[in-house]
Amino acid sequence: MNKIIFFILLCSSNIYSQRFITKEAKITFFSEAPIEDISAKNTKVKAVYDSDTKQLVFQLNISDFIFPKPLMQEHFNENYLESDRFPKAFFSGIVGQLNESASAIGTLKIHGESNEIEVVGSLEKVKNIVNINATFIIQLKDYKIKIPKLVMYNIAEKIEVTVEAELKKIR
Amino acid sequence: MKRILLILLFGQATVFAQDDLFQLLGDDANYKISSTFKGVKIVNGQSVELVNKGDLLFLIQHRFGTLNSGVYNLYGLDNAQVRFGLDYGVNDWVTIGLGRSSFLKTIDANSKIKLVAQSKGKDAFPFSLVCYSSVFFKQSIWEDMQEESYVLTDQISYVYQFLVARKVNSNLSVQISPTIVHKNVVAKDGVHDLLSIGLGIRHKLTSRISVNAEYFLQLNEAENTDALSIGVDIETGGHVFQLHLSNSAAMFERAFIHETNGNWLDGGIYFGFNISRVFTLAK
Repeated sequence: MNKIIFFILLCSSNIYSQRFITKEAKITFFSEAPIEDISAKNTKVKAVYDSDTKQLVFQLNISDFIFPKPLMQEHFNENYLESDRFPKAFFSGIVGQLNESASAIGTLKIHGESNEIEVVGSLEKVKNIVNINATFIIQLKDYKIKIPKLVMYNIAEKIEVTVEAELKKIR
Repeated sequence: MKRILLILLFGQATVFAQDDLFQLLGDDANYKISSTFKGVKIVNGQSVELVNKGDLLFLIQHRFGTLNSGVYNLYGLDNAQVRFGLDYGVNDWVTIGLGRSSFLKTIDANSKIKLVAQSKGKDAFPFSLVCYSSVFFKQSIWEDMQEESYVLTDQISYVYQFLVARKVNSNLSVQISPTIVHKNVVAKDGVHDLLSIGLGIRHKLTSRISVNAEYFLQLNEAENTDALSIGVDIETGGHVFQLHLSNSAAMFERAFIHETNGNWLDGGIYFGFNISRVFTLAK
């Protein structure tokens, strides 16, 4: 009987040991605009990677994006991303190999709109740490983020998103 | 023993069933509710909005004459009152400001302190609470100041407000503003402390346009009309335009709450606007 319990415990610890987590991954975005470039940084992004199933998920709060100018941040939350209606953004996908790099194929959900995307980047596993880096482009119209004509910041249709994450093994 | 086994098995099952890795991430976030109102003022009265840290807000307030003043005065457009104001965000919860109204030649110095911001999530709080206070100083001409009866402190009055607001949903915000106005000098048998309660409401029509209304109910010694104002806010990036109709020509608390003479029913209404522009001073 004791053996069985021990076995079960071993199993469960095994299951956990394949998973890596962080709650302080960094996602930045950048957009070139005529008057002023727009950039923001979120350092409270959460991510989990399961090296067995190759599943990778990201989750962040829209209101955690910090802008150089507070007014930009207010407009981002209030007028563009409507963060009180859609407080979070998610990614859920499967990591595969693409030549030298890693690629993640999955669903990105922003502003209540889901899109299938493929992101090429790097995923390196060193001992108990998984490092993920990626850069990709998203189109605002895919996520129904409207750009009004009469605005101070002329915002580009395309936004460059950069992901940096260091995930630690769950013990 | 069996029970322990059962618990372990049960635990095991949930681990297996947890296809969704999102559950591991949990949700311990705290979301601050932003933009309860578009501007730092609803119409005349203060809203719970502060100026962002390091930002300087330049506010021009303008009130024309009354609509019933006839075609000779172009229905009020010939006359105008103005208040210029500068507000600076010392940090995210303190704003200080200076202003001057042409009406009654009054200078005001004010401060606004955010005590609690409305939030949802882990440490949810249903209201935003803000304290506002201002000192009003009436300018005098040199000849009056030479009079023996002239006392500098007689020219001073104060307002203290406790602003309680809630963004009910993304479109609707409401505010209650209990207010005390203190006058250093009053007429014979007058009271020094005047109490009132302000009610404000904002309804967003689009992400950039909202309809606002504001009412101040005088609670004691009401000799004048209660101030009622209705307006539209239009936001265009760094500017907020507020167009409104009000039965008050004044733009500082003591005067618009307790010295309003206009009457909505007989056309004693002033058309006016506020324009604000934000300058980012600190990076």
